[in-house]
Amino acid sequence: MLAVLVVAGLTMLSLYFQEGPTGPLHSGQGLVSNLLGPVEEGASRALKPPRDLINWFSETFDARGENARLRDEVADLRNRLAESESTATAGSQRAKLDSLVGGLVPTGSTPVDARVIGRSPTVWYSTVVIDKGSSAGVRLDDPVVSPAGLAGRVTLVNRGNSEVTLITDSDSSVAARVFPSGTIGVIEPELGKPQNLQLNYIRGGEEIRKGQMVVTAGFSDPALSSLFPPGIPIGRVSEVSLEELQAYQRVEVRVYADLRDMDYVKVLASGSKG
Amino acid sequence: MIVTWKIVARLCALALLVAILQTSFFSQLWIFGSSPEIALLVVMSVGLLGGSLTGSVFGFSVGLLLDCLLMSDLGALALTLMAVGYFAGRYREDVGRPTRLAAVLLGGLFTFAGGGLFAVIQLGLGVDSEVTGGVARDLLVETLLGFLLVMPVLLLVRLWLRSALIEDGPSQEGRRMRRLREKEKRVEEAGA
Repeated sequence: MLAVLVVAGLTMLSLYFQEGPTGPLHSGQGLVSNLLGPVEEGASRALKPPRDLINWFSETFDARGENARLRDEVADLRNRLAESESTATAGSQRAKLDSLVGGLVPTGSTPVDARVIGRSPTVWYSTVVIDKGSSAGVRLDDPVVSPAGLAGRVTLVNRGNSEVTLITDSDSSVAARVFPSGTIGVIEPELGKPQNLQLNYIRGGEEIRKGQMVVTAGFSDPALSSLFPPGIPIGRVSEVSLEELQAYQRVEVRVYADLRDMDYVKVLASGSKG
Repeated sequence: MIVTWKIVARLCALALLVAILQTSFFSQLWIFGSSPEIALLVVMSVGLLGGSLTGSVFGFSVGLLLDCLLMSDLGALALTLMAVGYFAGRYREDVGRPTRLAAVLLGGLFTFAGGGLFAVIQLGLGVDSEVTGGVARDLLVETLLGFLLVMPVLLLVRLWLRSALIEDGPSQEGRRMRRLREKEKRVEEAGA
């Protein structure tokens, strides 16, 4: 019996990787997910108060360490503000920032409010399940944003629910731009650090400073275009280091969105509702 | 464990309940930066109570349900939880019913081993991003939570499957037979 189960598991895993999203295993998985989706959603709603209570204790504990970090950040921001005022560019920077992050909803997209109903139990997958699917106009690769910034993109769609792969998932990578310098790199996750990302391929000569904002680059050309529209805030540069003999800088980015504790997200749906 | 249709139904209900609670509740809790792996502890408990066959089939089913609910790589969690159920069952068959201390130690050990096996499967499938020490820290916190939570989980699973457990007192049929024997004894005594 054990041998049968092992063979079944390995075969499933192998076939799952070989077949496309419309293959029989994906379809069966979607069917089960659709059937149990409403139960999962009901459980998620019903269990929200105890979940919030337990997380509140946890957050309070974490906040003690966070307090010291925020004090340092405030001091750093004060210095930077003074710097900005002295060069008389604060006004233009603000306008630039507004134009950059304003209008998160790209032309042709419809924002769809969705509730997070499930979450992966392991550190290896940073995925969540939301309660909106193709019936609400959600399509594969639609960007997903949280109130604080970019959360991820839709990677599997069923009729009544969808899987969102978060930007901290090991498979994720996002073209990003450092604001205001405009330096472009690729945001990739660091497995095991759920609130941190790495901004890669930034050359040693580029000036990147701690505290700078990182937003989606959203490039587009005839051959290739980014999945994410430009200007969605991703995070803030938390550490910059250039190791000897390295051509690229190591830039760490702290994610704006609290990806561990999201209840609602917005899908920037490209499909028509109906 | 006496596996009847009623017990199979109870095991199916338990698998469904634990998969839904894991994704919609326990995975969304953050305790010291990690989440409790209740599904793994329930599978381990079923293995310890029911043996390797029951444990492995139950683990495979719970894992498969979780793979479907999370729309993740189909088979990865099923294989991991099947191994946990099997080895917990083998412990029961080779060593016997665990003491409280042994159960606590097994809770941590199986959480650690399950997390490690899942990591090996994931690394075998290929991981694109940099793996940091945070993965090991996460596994250690999960192990600690496994130590802490295994006893209440084991007790609840034992309660749910009590009617199938031989060592937890006689079944309904057994109780009826015992009452009959006691009645016969009283009649014999009265006759003598």
